Amino acid sequence: MYENTPLTEAIYYILLSVRKPNHGYGIIQEVSEITGNRVTLGPGTLYGAINTLLAKGWIKLFSEDKESRKKKEYVITKGGREVFDNEVKRLNELVNNAKLMEGE
Amino acid sequence: MLKFRLYYDKDAEQDWLAKMSNRGYAFKNYILGFYTFEECEPGKYLYQIDLLDDKADAYEEFCEFMKESGVEVVARWYRWVYLRKSASEGAFEMYTDNESKIDQYSRIRKFFSFFLVIETFGFFMEINAAIQTGKPLFWFFTLLIGTIALAFLRITWKCSWKIEQLRRD
Repeated sequence: MYENTPLTEAIYYILLSVRKPNHGYGIIQEVSEITGNRVTLGPGTLYGAINTLLAKGWIKLFSEDKESRKKKEYVITKGGREVFDNEVKRLNELVNNAKLMEGE
Repeated sequence: MLKFRLYYDKDAEQDWLAKMSNRGYAFKNYILGFYTFEECEPGKYLYQIDLLDDKADAYEEFCEFMKESGVEVVARWYRWVYLRKSASEGAFEMYTDNESKIDQYSRIRKFFSFFLVIETFGFFMEINAAIQTGKPLFWFFTLLIGTIALAFLRITWKCSWKIEQLRRD
């Protein structure tokens, strides 16, 4: 179940940013925003990650209208959602176990 | 303005483009060692250099993606691309995590390894010809190809060293 985790921060936040259809620039902006600029995605990092995620089938192209000038949008797949949920479970376990430290 | 330089280390080349931009010269184009610059406000642009995948359709796709992400692809030479952004938009780094930096240096290492093999092969052909014939021209080529091979060896080592550093982080 945890075979695909842990995810890198970049992959984690990209999956989160495509819960609704989003384009490259939108992903970069959203990730900066929700992490208070702690995680900034370089365009090269994002490009590589998107290609990896597409190849793994964790995200898919949402719209590719060659005619219009609309930007390419990506959206998470069922498989991607599963991986993300497993990662959240794993992270919760980490945080829950951290409480043991407080008892000391 | 036209300048001639031979770089095989993209980090050094990138530093030079940054220096030129700070002095008010914006890099515009590259052909076989010749760099064209046009005047700009000092420090207007930030530059990054990248090596594309060897897939045939990589360039179009890459350019489209970069354009949509607010990055300008200024020039291209073979699989190498020169990218820039206005400094007013904040820092510009193509790769922001260790995984993707390692990927980039691995790509560069693979690129130069290929040419290193070819140059090494050429070096032994030339040295053989030089010994057989004793002609100075062959010695000249032996020296030239040997120098190129050493430069490529150096850059593949440097990439390996960078990858090792990044893995340890």
